[in-house]
Amino acid sequence: MHTLTTGPWTPVALSADLPVGTVIPARIPAGSIALWRSESGRLSASADRCPHRGMSLSHGFVRGENLSCIYHGWSYARSGQCIRIPAHPGLEPPETIRAKTFTVEEVGGVIWVATDEATTAPPAFEGLAPLRSMTTTAGIAAIEAAAGAKASAEGLVVPVGDTLCLLVSTRDDGQTLIHVLVTGAASAEARIGASRAAESLRRAAEAVQKENAA
Amino acid sequence: MSVQAMIDEWYPVGIAAQLDAAGRNTMLMGEPIVVAKDANGQAKVTGGNGRLLPVKMRYGHVWTSLGEPKKDLFPIPEADQPGRRFVDVGVVRVRCSPLRAVENFLDVAHFPFVHTDILGAEPHTEVQNYKVEIREDVDEVWATQVKFYQPQAAKSASGGITTEYMYRVAAPTCTVLYKTCPPRPSEWDVITLFVQPLTEELCDVWPWMALFDDETSMTDLIHFQQTIFLQDRSILENQIPRLLPLDPGMEIPTRADLTSIAYRRWLKRHNYTYGAQLVAQ
Repeated sequence: MHTLTTGPWTPVALSADLPVGTVIPARIPAGSIALWRSESGRLSASADRCPHRGMSLSHGFVRGENLSCIYHGWSYARSGQCIRIPAHPGLEPPETIRAKTFTVEEVGGVIWVATDEATTAPPAFEGLAPLRSMTTTAGIAAIEAAAGAKASAEGLVVPVGDTLCLLVSTRDDGQTLIHVLVTGAASAEARIGASRAAESLRRAAEAVQKENAA
Repeated sequence: MSVQAMIDEWYPVGIAAQLDAAGRNTMLMGEPIVVAKDANGQAKVTGGNGRLLPVKMRYGHVWTSLGEPKKDLFPIPEADQPGRRFVDVGVVRVRCSPLRAVENFLDVAHFPFVHTDILGAEPHTEVQNYKVEIREDVDEVWATQVKFYQPQAAKSASGGITTEYMYRVAAPTCTVLYKTCPPRPSEWDVITLFVQPLTEELCDVWPWMALFDDETSMTDLIHFQQTIFLQDRSILENQIPRLLPLDPGMEIPTRADLTSIAYRRWLKRHNYTYGAQLVAQ
């Protein structure tokens, strides 16, 4: 497997894909997480499992500054502490009821989650703006072969002759997550072109992967 | 996991009215079976090695067992009561433990969030105290005096009412619900959940109803119940782990979960662990 040196940080999603008041599923090496943004814009990451009945929290809903489970409406604060159990409105939930949380940072439109203690900031990519995310069954080596370029220590692949960059990371399910980045000044036309180019690269990488497996 | 304790139980494997000579290939606790109608018009269930399995026709469904049932199928007296309409709701396949499907059916606290504006609605989320017991004489789990505010308790309900429920677990994967009958306050509507364990993590759920409702069309009655159960499926297929944890520690119950606590305790006591997760595993 390709070794990247992003430390404890995993680039899990793009800021634009997580509007205020929403929750989405994401993956880090430790497993599935629920990534959510409160009404005031604060970002949080918690384990994707409600401790009550094991329901996936990324299926839940955000209200105000809290994330609620869709099954019974149990609400969790940013700290992971359960703050409300609707079946017992008068009850103050014990401190033992909490969802595990992870450190999350947003840099230049990319959301990073730290699996372990983070002593450094996540990488910043000057002059690049995120375009879109995609997943692929191709591994990083196959993507590098298709792009004709090696991934940097931060996981950035700059394909030869293209005006786009791919930020790659291997997920715990074996798939590779790709965030497509373009230069900040790119026109709408150039962004559409970059999106199509990224899809072509993905097809090429999957073909390489298939060939290598055969 | 243990098949042994649950193997002598009866399980639903099809709708009686839909039997045909060609037969239906299905599965029971991992074993492929065929459910068909024989030359005399009787139900015939064949096990994986061609052996004939015991058969019962009851409550609109065909029942069978891989073992040697020591008890008759549990009684539902309302199934013989004149004036009721019997509704074969059909089948919903769910990628979850058969025990999780039953447990979800025993729960009222999820109504406002999963069956929003039908079986529950915020801010009416409180679950009042209710009574739960394991009735030793019949060896069943019972929850009584369960009350919950419902915007549309049944197809026959117009407007919100506080509905009273009684829950009964009559077999490891079969549960019967008695609830306030809007057009006939002196009677209970009966809604059952018969669960066919295909494997430990996959089940076919056969809801069946015995209602007092002369107004609603059969199609609407079926649609109502299917809507409810498909909402449940979105939950059941996203719980982790897929198996039902029987030992404490993995999940955190509250007072509203007393029925589920009793159900899990009863399952464990009888070693009904097909579809369960134990700490020891």
